[in-house]
Amino acid sequence: MSAILDNFWSLLALKILLITGVMMTVSLVIIFAELKISAHMQSRVGPYFAGGRYGWAQPLADGLKFIQKEDLVPADADRPVFKFAPMVVLAGTLAVFVIVPFSPDLVVRNLDLGVFYALAAGSIGTVGVLMAGWSSANKYSLMGGLRAAAQLIAYELPLVLAVVGVVIQAGTMSMVGIVEAQAAPVFHLGDTAISLPYIFQGQFIGFIIFMIAALAELNRTPFDMPIAESELVMGYLTEYSGIRFTMFFLGEYAGIFAMSAIASTLFLGGYYFPGLDSATFGPLVLMGKVGLLVFLIIWLRWTLPRLREDQLQSFAWKWLIPLALVNIAVTATFKVVF
Amino acid sequence: MTTADRQTLSMHHSEVQVSVELQTPDMTLNLGPQHPSTHGVLRLVARVDGEVIKELEPVVGYMHRGYEKLAEVRTYPQITALVNRIDWVSGFANEIPFMVATERLMDIEVPERAQYIRLILTEMARISNHLVFLSSLPLELGAATPLMHALRERERVLDLIEGVTGGRFHPNFNRIGGVKPAAAAGATQKKVVQDLPQGFVEQTKSAMEYVREVCADMVNLVLGNEIFMQRTKGVGVIPADKALAFGVSGPNLRASGVPFDLRKTDDYLPYSNFDFDVVTGSNGDCFDRYAVRLEEVVQASRIVDQAVSEIPAGDLQAKVPRIIKVPKGEIYVRAENPKGEMGYYIVSEGGRGPYRLKIRTASFSNLSVLSWLLKGQLVPDLIAILGSLDFVLGDVDR
Amino acid sequence: MSPSELAARIAGAVGSDHFSSDNGTAKVHIAADRWVDAHRTLSAEMPYFSWLSAIDWATEVVVGDAPESEDIEPRYEVLSCLGSVETGESVVLSTAVSKDDPSLDSLAEVYGGANWHEREAAEMFGIDFVGHPNLTGIYLPDSFEGHPLQKSFALLSREVKPWPGTVDVEPMPDEEGPSTENPEDAG
Repeated sequence: MSAILDNFWSLLALKILLITGVMMTVSLVIIFAELKISAHMQSRVGPYFAGGRYGWAQPLADGLKFIQKEDLVPADADRPVFKFAPMVVLAGTLAVFVIVPFSPDLVVRNLDLGVFYALAAGSIGTVGVLMAGWSSANKYSLMGGLRAAAQLIAYELPLVLAVVGVVIQAGTMSMVGIVEAQAAPVFHLGDTAISLPYIFQGQFIGFIIFMIAALAELNRTPFDMPIAESELVMGYLTEYSGIRFTMFFLGEYAGIFAMSAIASTLFLGGYYFPGLDSATFGPLVLMGKVGLLVFLIIWLRWTLPRLREDQLQSFAWKWLIPLALVNIAVTATFKVVF
Repeated sequence: MTTADRQTLSMHHSEVQVSVELQTPDMTLNLGPQHPSTHGVLRLVARVDGEVIKELEPVVGYMHRGYEKLAEVRTYPQITALVNRIDWVSGFANEIPFMVATERLMDIEVPERAQYIRLILTEMARISNHLVFLSSLPLELGAATPLMHALRERERVLDLIEGVTGGRFHPNFNRIGGVKPAAAAGATQKKVVQDLPQGFVEQTKSAMEYVREVCADMVNLVLGNEIFMQRTKGVGVIPADKALAFGVSGPNLRASGVPFDLRKTDDYLPYSNFDFDVVTGSNGDCFDRYAVRLEEVVQASRIVDQAVSEIPAGDLQAKVPRIIKVPKGEIYVRAENPKGEMGYYIVSEGGRGPYRLKIRTASFSNLSVLSWLLKGQLVPDLIAILGSLDFVLGDVDR
Repeated sequence: MSPSELAARIAGAVGSDHFSSDNGTAKVHIAADRWVDAHRTLSAEMPYFSWLSAIDWATEVVVGDAPESEDIEPRYEVLSCLGSVETGESVVLSTAVSKDDPSLDSLAEVYGGANWHEREAAEMFGIDFVGHPNLTGIYLPDSFEGHPLQKSFALLSREVKPWPGTVDVEPMPDEEGPSTENPEDAG
């Protein structure tokens, strides 16, 4: 055992396997949560039969169903690109998990450029979406892919700018470093040192901008024009079926987890909770915060209609980016002055 | 099928020409006949440049069942069963103008009780129809939850209709001279005079309470939603004069600002005994069409409340001969159906069936405005506009 | 305004003296060559275009019963219905088109809604509307032959199996038992 843990390469392999397993499980859990939460919001019951009373095996059953389906590639499609596109999307999401800190030690690799790496890896998915839309040889898919690419590019900027404020305030780009910076006491109430997560330390606007931009990056309603089901069938996903569709699907839900994890680390304090030991309770604390944000994302999907493409773009360029820039300026001023 | 049908949808990369100004060819987008958001088998052939529609032509007729020809080989009572399948969402209301036309030609006076029951069921059909519309437009725009809430309340109304007539959508409850008076007579079963079920009045009143509650929810959840407003305000404006020239009727016409309601102008049912408002919009855009129908549900529930409290006693059907033979004559009767104006022009030559029956349906005229309306609109707006016109293909194609 | 007054007034406005208001429906007959002019005159006070269709008057019919009137002159009677929104009145205008050369001027310029209705009438009856921008079929498949609503157009199902007669299953309120009726017995 220690031999594996000592050797760098075997440890890395173990971590990668672990994180892949975590990602798959987490995706299934979030899918189930979405089915149940949306059902109760709509006065329905949701999955009921699969796996006993609560229908918890529904996502598993769906996954197994998809895996045994026929592998369809449209005749006119560009075969290599078509087959490779879902892997690109999945790889991009998986890469983000590398820097998510579950506790000060439980992180695949605590890069010094953690935040930068996360944002860069997260945008690999855009290329995959374009590949999917183009290679499907279907006008609907093409339109969906182009819409998705435009949307993803437009919302990268607010995402990055919102994070810059946190980086300025923390003084470091490493994810563990940012959590430690939030754990540092802000003021003292008698004997106890009070520390606040960044959302309360002045990054509230940044948090809002980040969540909105994250919704757009994940192609979730109100920003799900690219897969607007009632308009373009499934947009860039129209021609995908079976395992390839499952890969996109899992990638989307893993992305929800990844974005929520980044948001909780940057804005909500990550694995730190005042009074609890980070090393032992860290993962639980982080999961709790991630769960809150995931619930918020699911809630928004089932409440709001979707924005039209041009409204989406004007919202990003005319509102979010100027707001994010103002946020940076204010944060920088405060950092220097105080 | 025409050559247009055989156009393939794939676009080979060699077809795109890159010149100095990057000309991209117009794309012919074929929506339908099977499509998640068109209300039935409607095909739209659109020439699209990016996201802007340059030209659009609706192709209808996939559901043409030949009602007018069929009516020539049916007797009048048999046509009643045919006719409520034209607009299948508001089943009961389709029969009313036909019944009234036949009764006027035969000079039959319908008992008051039957008229009140007809009116109550028509208004319930209106509520049911509008609730479907109120839930499907937000669904097409992306909000999935109002669908569930509206359909839940619609179940109450459908249960009421089923309690009275035995059918939810195609009741076949009207008879020439009134409504169905009796049930089950024959070799094994005794004939029973069938009147309204017990407890009908209380159940109706409580159902109307629930309906009004869900309308109040919709006002907050949908009408007040910023994104919904952005998607529908100013989209698909039909000016009043164009609406009249194309024959647009019903809530679509009222949303364009024309306060025209056949329930107030024609006396095919005793609407003059009840107090209700004619709901109009101001701009004629998708938002107004939604708001008008939302308010119409509330008004319809008011009518039902008033009518159900004062149903007079009496017969359910007038005395009519065993074989219905309508004297010679021609008549046109129109009614305010949930989707618009529905009318029947009956040409009778004294036989047991009509010589010619012309059915004027609301959705046919409502849809004809589409090729004028959609020039220059965006593709996502197309979905919002189609959803806001509230048509059903059975009504368009007959 | 009562239907008879309405019919008289409209007839005066379009210069016709053939009008009626039986059964509460105001109907005005117009000569075929004055069809479009009459509509143009009325378009100001009756801007609502309800529908346009036709009736095939024929003495010999293949489907249904032949008309009982003695003096039927075989022709197509084209009907259009206009309405006013202020007063809520509606009037039916009619004109006669001969069967040998069934053509009529199109109303598509005057009322936009006439476009689709004329396409349907052309398809169902074979009437040619002169000046219509796009007189193609609207309901039937392109390979369909014939004009279905003509009285000479047979219904295939009735060729195979003739009309079974009226079958009353539900008795009248004061009678018992089902009964069947043959068209010959009823007389």
